Amino acid sequence: MGTIGEAVRRRRSALRSGLTGRFLDLGLIVVVAAFLILLATRVLEHGPSFFLQILTFAIANGGIYALIALGYTMVYGIIELINFAHGDVFAFGAFLSASLIPVFGLGEDKPFGVLPALALLGVFVVTMLVCGVLNVSIERIAYRPLRHAPRLAPLITAIGMSFFLEGALFLWKGPSNVHYPNVLPSAGFNLFGAEIGTKEIIVIVTALVLVVALALFVERSRLGKAMRATAQDRDASLLMGIDIDQTIAATFFIGALLAGAGGTMYGLYYNTSVFDLGFSAGLVAFTAAVFGGIGNIYGAAIGGLLIGMIQSFWDGYFESAWTQVVIFAVLILVLVFRPTGILGMRVPEK
Amino acid sequence: MQRRWFSAAAILAGALVAAACSQAPAGGGGANKGEIIIASDFPTSGAERSSGRGPEAGVAYAVSLNSNIKGFTITHKPYDDAVNGAHDPQKGAQNFTDMVGNSKILGVVGPFNSNVARATIPVANRASLVMISPANTNECLTQTFSYCDPQPSALRPTGKNNYFRIAAPDTVQGPAMADFAIDTLKITKLAVWSDNETFGKGVADNFAKEITKKNGTVVARSDFDWKSTNDFRPFLQKAKDAGAQGIYAGATSATKGCIPRAQMKGIFTTDIPYMGPDGIGDTQCIKDAGDNANTNMYFTNAAAEAAQDPANTALINDFKSKYTSKEDLGAYTFPGYDCAKILLDAISRAIDTAGGNMPTREQVVAAVQATKGLKLSTGTYSFDNNGDPTSATMAFYQYKGGDWSFVKQFSVGQ
Repeated sequence: MGTIGEAVRRRRSALRSGLTGRFLDLGLIVVVAAFLILLATRVLEHGPSFFLQILTFAIANGGIYALIALGYTMVYGIIELINFAHGDVFAFGAFLSASLIPVFGLGEDKPFGVLPALALLGVFVVTMLVCGVLNVSIERIAYRPLRHAPRLAPLITAIGMSFFLEGALFLWKGPSNVHYPNVLPSAGFNLFGAEIGTKEIIVIVTALVLVVALALFVERSRLGKAMRATAQDRDASLLMGIDIDQTIAATFFIGALLAGAGGTMYGLYYNTSVFDLGFSAGLVAFTAAVFGGIGNIYGAAIGGLLIGMIQSFWDGYFESAWTQVVIFAVLILVLVFRPTGILGMRVPEK
Repeated sequence: MQRRWFSAAAILAGALVAAACSQAPAGGGGANKGEIIIASDFPTSGAERSSGRGPEAGVAYAVSLNSNIKGFTITHKPYDDAVNGAHDPQKGAQNFTDMVGNSKILGVVGPFNSNVARATIPVANRASLVMISPANTNECLTQTFSYCDPQPSALRPTGKNNYFRIAAPDTVQGPAMADFAIDTLKITKLAVWSDNETFGKGVADNFAKEITKKNGTVVARSDFDWKSTNDFRPFLQKAKDAGAQGIYAGATSATKGCIPRAQMKGIFTTDIPYMGPDGIGDTQCIKDAGDNANTNMYFTNAAAEAAQDPANTALINDFKSKYTSKEDLGAYTFPGYDCAKILLDAISRAIDTAGGNMPTREQVVAAVQATKGLKLSTGTYSFDNNGDPTSATMAFYQYKGGDWSFVKQFSVGQ
């Protein structure tokens, strides 16, 4: 945490001290309490099975956002760059896997079984690897040459890369919604009156496995250690014999693996994608990363999950037209009281 | 001092240019008295080309068949109001500003979308430029209701009407599907969602009102910020839990109108009908519905299908032989053709009013208003004082065997 954390903590206590600060706190508590009471009455009104149903949708939704958010947060953590192109790598993953599905012999009219499941695993692996290579190339072409340039320069090339990818996706599949084949079985099982679909289970389990794998990788492996060291102090890491270029490239690669998996899951779950999907989904995912504390991989996972849950619960219990407003209102509230996000940010010491 | 000389010179130069320009159409004479341009304004690029190209081709076809009226050469100038693949009111207003500046343009067929109409009617109105739309259905464009914002009068700064349409307004399209659901499909519990746009929300509100009026119930209602979400599951679940027997989508294919249809699979264990307005009546909707596209999908079209009248067979075949692209022949091709025919007919009468000379735009507006019982490919048209057709046709379509197929159509009075 260090100096940034210190500064932020001091600033926050200044904001919250005094009479105004106390009124602010009180006002917030009243608003949150009123909202929780309202939510509770709605939940009671709709019954427990509906709640359970929405909860599964919410976790599946949040799981996908978490996977995208991880890529943003890892890259920001290591080189303090908002990789705007990340959302588009995710959209590319959705497009690529949609095209791979027939190649791997999968289709909407075919029954699901062991063999199709293995084929689907193949789709996942190929999509993830191609996305990884794509993201590493983006880093090599657009970010590495600018590593010592002023901060704004790579920010602009990131925006440029995002538009470039969006344009490429536009040329590839056109401007309309692209239907994503529905290959997962729609059957489910009954749990306390709620119909838990196979789709939700697959999405939730896959997201969970990937997040845990990433956490283990970053905590336990040599490369993970190198990544953490580079994030903490690049020059010292260099002195200790860490290959900085390789470590940063690996960060982009791993982030894109998750984005590729996220894109495939998004397609399988929502059965649709569109060339500018990376913008809308990327915005939400980036928000999730900030929400959880940028640079912090656990934060990104929790932030993604929370935003997905807010979205689904609001859609389920309140007026959908306001969903986007509510997400950002919650973000503002959280950041005012925890400026470094829920779990606190982890960025290079300067 | 010097500045004054300069501005005087500029005024003089301007006057000369103006004089030269105004002279141009008068030149020629004899067999060719000049050029009259009919403009069209539709979204013809990007995702919405499938909507906008049909009527544009219809206008081009009508003009090609009537390229000379009483010594005037008639040409067609198409405008595109799509930006980045979606219709854009601001782009529409720019197009109309350009049209207003071109004195040869005496009338416009279009626009396609109600919100583009809302932005362009005032522009055309100030210049008394007549517009005829084959597809605008928002009721507030022509009729005064307490909930209209803006009111039709606010769209017409000169106080005189210049806007006409042949499509039935949403006050008719939404309720027509509600009647269809209750009377034909025999379902009374409906869930309604919309894309929260002028068109989608309007038609969804009117659908819901009619359901309530006919003693049915709207069991779930949501308006989505369609750009930011693909997740319709919570809404669908809410609809299912409330016992919905059918779902109405106040949206178009471009605003994700049929994506919920695909997501219904897995939530609704027994399938229920999915209905929508003309905006979902295209191939994009079928693609989006994926493996859940079946005969439980319906849409209304605010214009008659020309092919249902055997008298049009020769016309349609001739059109098909000249316009071969798949997008050329859509639900709104012949409504577009008919709008151009109404305009051509009015221009012909306006030329008479002007004593065989180039008519003024005001004369063309008056001639369109005076259209009485003009029999065309999709109906017989006259206009009331608001610019609405005195009788419009509503057609119903159902998905069958890979494409939309016609169910029935009937005339609805205003």
